[in-house]
Amino acid sequence: MQLIKLLINGKEYEVAVKKNWTLLYVLREVLDFTGTKCGCNTNDCGACKVLIDGEAVNSCVVLAHKAEGKNIITIEGIAEGSKLHPIQEAFIETGAVQCGFCTPGMIITTKALLDQNPSPSRDEIVQALDNNLCRCTGYVKIVEAIELAAKRLRGEA
Amino acid sequence: MKNKKLVYVGNNRPIRDAALKVTGQLQYTADMKFPHMLYAKMLFSPVAHAKIKKIDTSKAEALPGVKAVVTYKNSPRIPYNSSMRFYEHKIPETEYLFDDTVRFVGDRVAAVAAESLEIAEKAIRLIEVEYEELPAVFDPEEALKEGAPEIHPGGNKVAEIKTEAGNVEEALAQADYVFEDRITVPAIHHCAIETHVAIATYDSRGKLTVYSPNQNTFAFRIIISKVLEMPMSKVRVVRPAIGGAFGGKLEAVIEPVVALLAKMTGRPVKMELNRRESIVSTRTRHAGVFYIKSGVNKDGTLVAQDFRVILNTGAYATSALNVSGAMSHKVFKVYKTKHMRFTATPVYTNTPIAGAMRGYGSPQAFAAQQIHLNRVAKALNMDFVDFQLKNLVEPDGVDPRFNSPHGNPRPLDCVTKGAEAFNWASRPKTEEQGRFKRGIGMAIGSHGNGCFGAHRDVTAMVLKMNEDGTATLFTGTHDMGNGTVTAETQVIGEILGIDPENIECIEADTEATPWNLGDYASRGVFVSCNAAKKVAESVRREILKEAAQLLEVPVEELDLVGGYAVSTKDPEKKATLCDVIVHGQRVNQREIIGAETFASPAGVTSYGAHFAEVEVDTETGKVKVLDYVAVHDVGKAINPMYVEGQIEGAVQMGIGYALTEGLELDEKGKVTNNSFKKYHMLKASEMPRMQVLLVEEGEEPGPFGAKSIGECSTVPSAPAVVNAVSNALGIDFKDLPLKPERILKAIQVQK
Repeated sequence: MQLIKLLINGKEYEVAVKKNWTLLYVLREVLDFTGTKCGCNTNDCGACKVLIDGEAVNSCVVLAHKAEGKNIITIEGIAEGSKLHPIQEAFIETGAVQCGFCTPGMIITTKALLDQNPSPSRDEIVQALDNNLCRCTGYVKIVEAIELAAKRLRGEA
Repeated sequence: MKNKKLVYVGNNRPIRDAALKVTGQLQYTADMKFPHMLYAKMLFSPVAHAKIKKIDTSKAEALPGVKAVVTYKNSPRIPYNSSMRFYEHKIPETEYLFDDTVRFVGDRVAAVAAESLEIAEKAIRLIEVEYEELPAVFDPEEALKEGAPEIHPGGNKVAEIKTEAGNVEEALAQADYVFEDRITVPAIHHCAIETHVAIATYDSRGKLTVYSPNQNTFAFRIIISKVLEMPMSKVRVVRPAIGGAFGGKLEAVIEPVVALLAKMTGRPVKMELNRRESIVSTRTRHAGVFYIKSGVNKDGTLVAQDFRVILNTGAYATSALNVSGAMSHKVFKVYKTKHMRFTATPVYTNTPIAGAMRGYGSPQAFAAQQIHLNRVAKALNMDFVDFQLKNLVEPDGVDPRFNSPHGNPRPLDCVTKGAEAFNWASRPKTEEQGRFKRGIGMAIGSHGNGCFGAHRDVTAMVLKMNEDGTATLFTGTHDMGNGTVTAETQVIGEILGIDPENIECIEADTEATPWNLGDYASRGVFVSCNAAKKVAESVRREILKEAAQLLEVPVEELDLVGGYAVSTKDPEKKATLCDVIVHGQRVNQREIIGAETFASPAGVTSYGAHFAEVEVDTETGKVKVLDYVAVHDVGKAINPMYVEGQIEGAVQMGIGYALTEGLELDEKGKVTNNSFKKYHMLKASEMPRMQVLLVEEGEEPGPFGAKSIGECSTVPSAPAVVNAVSNALGIDFKDLPLKPERILKAIQVQK
């Protein structure tokens, strides 16, 4: 076991990890950040995405000790207290949420996209979702949600 | 109540738990932990068919931290069927918790419960098994041949189910033309993003509680109490949030094993399958081989149709009879044809178990029928839309077998509306630009609304009023994210004149909610929302009684509007629901509560028509779906936004069924595309432009005229896409999925 420090949602956690533990495992099983989901553990579905220094990354393929010193944001860190982020509101309003299992990962991907590109085209949105699988929605309302969130964050709606 | 303007039914409403889902606060089963919880792992068979000659668990048991190792040697040997739905359900019982024979790669051999997942994984690797391999068979037609390896005593044919109307032979003989096709559809996997997971606890009182994301808590209770020989009062099944199901969580797959481990250890036990295990060892949609014969006249009238289908049910019976039976009925619901026959033969093979999956037989039957009829229409030189319009049932149509009405079937409206939105008539049928060929295709489909006619179809509910005029609903509905419970609150809100937001819901728990048959067969709207309506009407009557006394006006004069009981004659005479409920408590010393059982009175049918444009790259064989229109006859949309959501998701699944999905086995029976990397479900970038339209002409017995959408939505999708590809290339494809290799091969043969 190795003692490491992880900066998650602005707070520092000291945690003992094994070398082969992934960030996903530490988030869910050690620190109880269970909003981050596991759908495949093979880097294919995006349910486990977190922001690492602003990039949306699958936490199932990041070793926990490699995330030391980085700024990690999980789905629990998107809202401000009980005030939802405009991306979250847009997902709710457009009906982009069904079973909800892919939703945290989708929102993390959206956050990274809109932080970097406030006016993405439809093509840029679906490209950004290339590593996020959903079996419920056909992605239609997820794309709509992202368009609505982008508009609102630009102050246009 | 009639002719009243609807306030909540017909609204676009986010699902009730959406805020919990976007924040990560909602607890799914995998997110739950109990003090001193053990972690379980399963050992799955690496061979397709074998007798377990020797199994040595001593090394695993000796590993520190291992609390239980279970195999066929130390588990109860009680046969069961994991798809049992109700207490005396008679279906073949071919499963055991563990058996001394394995019948497919992925079959259960042993399970371990240990202090940590790491220890459980290590222990599994320490179990030594010697297999005496037996001959295996993977193809259902091969499995039917004489001398084929026998998978269960009595042979591989589970049953033969036949249903017919009119005189098929005579009608075929008299038809101008007869067309025949052999069409095959693959096994596909549900791919819910949440894998199978369950937690069981067992306490010192001998009480077992099982938490699992499942579609049928009450049936799971029956199965678990049977295999563990426990009274039902000592077995509780709870459904936390479900991270997608699509039928894959309708059967008790891992729950009986997890329950056994908890009982053996007296500790909470959690088992979470990984993706590979979920794909290989849980359930699939039945693969099938269809032989279809159609008699048609020169003018395009379909006069007779004969289906013979061999269904691959995999290694165990589970849903074999249920799916074959359901499939047999569907094709009698769509065309005016009086002479039809459907013969289904489910067959055991040494392949993953086929079970329930969205559509429950309809996606297979309509894929085969619609691909076949597209070819028939072409051969008659008739536009496929015209063929549909000539033959589809009219609103007063009947099932030719019983002369019973279909309800208010609107497939014609779906086709007409869709053809117009898609510009079917004016759009070029095919286009060619260098190596790219484009084409358009369409298909229709249908699905039912519950189990009426097959067996009991019942949902019970309890609804009680709170002092402030809000309400609490106790519902056995297993919402899978499709919004059934939200729809129930809209229906109740409409009847009671209160905002659905003010109705809190306790869901699917065998000890907290009344009995429900389970969430399958597209029962959610037609049956369970009807139950919600019935219980709300019962509570409404009680509220009105109290209000009449409080306001001193006759009951008949009162209505419930916007949180008030109000006189329809004198709007000044009104009281808040709070005043009414408190009046009941204070003056009459009573609770306003309703408990009702609703039994479905009818088997009505939902319909849809899908239109697709595709582009085929003739060099790579890749198909892109460019444009899509889906129209569905839903009677009345209670929550249109979520009806659309069902259809949009169903199209993703349908295009996958047509083009990219399908389990692939190697020569030893091992699934080779056992990961999301290799099992190709569609990504956002692969989805077409899509327009969804609804036909809302009302279905009399449905709640506010509503009928189902969840399963019907995926039925016409795959054949619409396959027909578009066939039309684009001028090749009649008869085997799904149309992966690039298959398309390239067909282009070569064509040349």
